[in-house]
Amino acid sequence: MSIPALEVSALSALRGHGAARRLVLEPLGFTLAPGESVAVTGPSGAGKSTLADIVLGLELPDSGEIRVLGQHWSSPKRSHAPARRRLVQGVPQDPAAAFVPRWSIRTSLQQAIHRLAPPAGPGTGIDRAAELAQFDTALLDRRPHQLSGGQLQRAALARAVAVNPSVLVADEPTSALDPDTAQAVAGQLLSTAANSGIALLLITHDPQLAAQCSRTIAIRPPSR
Amino acid sequence: MNWFALKARRLSWPSFASCLLSALALLLVAGALPWLSRTDPAAAVLRARYAELEPTEQALAAVRAQLGLDQGPLATSLHWWSGVLHGDLGSSWVSGAEIAPGVWRALSVSATLTVFATIIALAVALALVLPAALRVLRNRPHSGSGPLGVALTALPEFLLASLLLVLVAVQLQWLPPYGWTGLDTAVLPALALGIPAGGLLGRLLADAIASVAAERWAGIWHLAGAPAPAILSGVLRRAAAAVIDQLGLVFIGLLGGAVAVEQVFAVPGLGRYLLGAANAQDIPALQAGLLLMAGSALLIGMLTAAARRALRGGALPAGSLPAPPEARGNGRIQRWTAAITCTALLAILAFGLPRDPYTLAFQRLQAPGAGLPFGADSSGRDLLARVAHGTLGTVGPALGIVACAILIGLLLAAAGEISRGPAVIANATPPILAGVVIAALLGPSVGGAALAVLWVSWPPLATHAASLLDEARAMPHIRWLPLSGVPRGRIWVQHLLPAVLPALLRHGMLRLPGVALALAALGFLGLGAQPPTPEWGLLLAEGIGYVERAPWTAIAPATALVLTSVCAVALAGIPAPQRTGTRGTATQQDPAARNTPVPVS
Repeated sequence: MSIPALEVSALSALRGHGAARRLVLEPLGFTLAPGESVAVTGPSGAGKSTLADIVLGLELPDSGEIRVLGQHWSSPKRSHAPARRRLVQGVPQDPAAAFVPRWSIRTSLQQAIHRLAPPAGPGTGIDRAAELAQFDTALLDRRPHQLSGGQLQRAALARAVAVNPSVLVADEPTSALDPDTAQAVAGQLLSTAANSGIALLLITHDPQLAAQCSRTIAIRPPSR
Repeated sequence: MNWFALKARRLSWPSFASCLLSALALLLVAGALPWLSRTDPAAAVLRARYAELEPTEQALAAVRAQLGLDQGPLATSLHWWSGVLHGDLGSSWVSGAEIAPGVWRALSVSATLTVFATIIALAVALALVLPAALRVLRNRPHSGSGPLGVALTALPEFLLASLLLVLVAVQLQWLPPYGWTGLDTAVLPALALGIPAGGLLGRLLADAIASVAAERWAGIWHLAGAPAPAILSGVLRRAAAAVIDQLGLVFIGLLGGAVAVEQVFAVPGLGRYLLGAANAQDIPALQAGLLLMAGSALLIGMLTAAARRALRGGALPAGSLPAPPEARGNGRIQRWTAAITCTALLAILAFGLPRDPYTLAFQRLQAPGAGLPFGADSSGRDLLARVAHGTLGTVGPALGIVACAILIGLLLAAAGEISRGPAVIANATPPILAGVVIAALLGPSVGGAALAVLWVSWPPLATHAASLLDEARAMPHIRWLPLSGVPRGRIWVQHLLPAVLPALLRHGMLRLPGVALALAALGFLGLGAQPPTPEWGLLLAEGIGYVERAPWTAIAPATALVLTSVCAVALAGIPAPQRTGTRGTATQQDPAARNTPVPVS
């Protein structure tokens, strides 16, 4: 049996200060194999985005642990080692969040590759990533605001897969797109993850999108 | 649910600990002032009391032991506080006499003066608030307090006091110029103190009334047929609740203004007592004066808290009510005023800078003429040159102060709630008092005055920087930068700073004239630049002694100061531009648009 890409055990999160501190994510555990895709569904306030931020390493959990490829990733006291940053990447709800507004798409991709996964030869990393995400390489030198929503979401996917991650977290990746584009982007996301052997954690409230994943985890808002 | 929301805004423990530690540190420092004094207190005492003794090591050591200064700061501080608790304020280093009787006498003079000043302030405030209230009665609320309020608050106390002295006492000879012998001597000091305070009070209240009356509920009460007086009382109550915290700060500011006013009119009050103690470096007298000042500030704080409780019906945590109203309107008049005053100042600079401010080239007190537009001062120096070079001497350090304040503000904003305690104390310190303490410890100098003004300048900038940083950190692309492996330091330098600095620099520049005026006030009191340096405050202080024979000696620097004051008020009245670009940040408002100390919340 191979090592799971992502192991989440007894993960929970509290937010707020003082007496207003309350549970925003009920204890939760699951594992993802490489190439597997899991949809996390639930109503607003269930803690879906909090889960995404914690798995991405942007926030720390208040209990439990996350392991990536069998090694420590995140626990209440300790975040991941900088050298392992490459392993977990994400596609945001608003794709503009993945790019610095004053940088071209190419610069953003170069920065990520340069810092996280030095490529074998110049250019190869970016072209391979654009190809994986079906992002038109002619658009690489544009700024984020010069791209359409669908193009930008593909660019965000390209940025994420450019550093060859093991886990990909997508937080409502299609909610800002029109239905046809959403369908195309979602299909791209699923096929890119499956083809590259990346474990995909897909946060969504769209049952159709969730049905395309291998499994679905439903979470509920914590009771007060 | 509501209770939860309120509870969440209570002081969290880091900020509580910060406030507590800062208060303890303040008490410790207040007690240890003799030990902190840079000039050797033993030498000072020896010189003052035993002039016949040679300052040998032996004699100095004996005096040090007698004062208890050989035991370090903590023991000095504890000794002083235990004395205070027993009602013993110590004895003067200069005269050796008991301090308590003198300082209490000074306090009673100041208290009387404050009563008169408060009467004037209330009358002025009433005159400003009445039109706004009448408009509410006629259901025609209108924005702002108008130019009258701006005019009344334009001049800082030391400048207004000097102008009153020159115009009313010297030129018109209606009232005695100085002393404290009867009711007639109290009129001018009370006016100098009361007019700016009343103007500020009235402006704050009138602006609050105008903005509260435009709130929805007022319209609904009106539709429901509520009588106009009922609506007015509701509006007044809510407006007062919105500005009560700022009113407390206005009154604490009076304590600082009193130092300047008492000095100008030679009123033997607490402010003049403090200034005398600072100039003589008589630290025990300074400590006693500061203790009484701090006690008065504490009393004002408690009264404010009681008033707030009465108005809001219970204790509310900081920040749970909307911020006091912002300046409204398009600010066209303010923009023009600022532009005209700046141009006039630049003209003085352009004509005066090439001239020589130090050479004694003219007759003493020569009248203004063709070759000498502003006349000559008491030593025969060119006043135009001195005022122009004084601009550099005043605005130069002010620029440095603003730059340092921005830097400190950024650093402390990054440090988070730990900076809350020092910010609360610094925000409530009048700059003149800070200047008095620093001058007493280090001797009067430009650097000391700059340090004092810096101490009171950083909190508003730190508050603004903190809100700007929060805003920038919440921007989606900055939140996601760690995903690309960008290290934290690089995010700070390359992404957060560029997002925060422009607004912060703009805020700092808006505060520049105010900072320059505070510096000039310290120079005027002899706590800043020393002769023969040309500095506005010092020039005014030098000129005022010759005002009967040669009024131009005071008019020249006063012109520059008035121009700066008007410019400061006009700049503060310009509404902040609408922020564009980032999502969901429209709620953050630029504190520079408020013309009063920004409450730290």
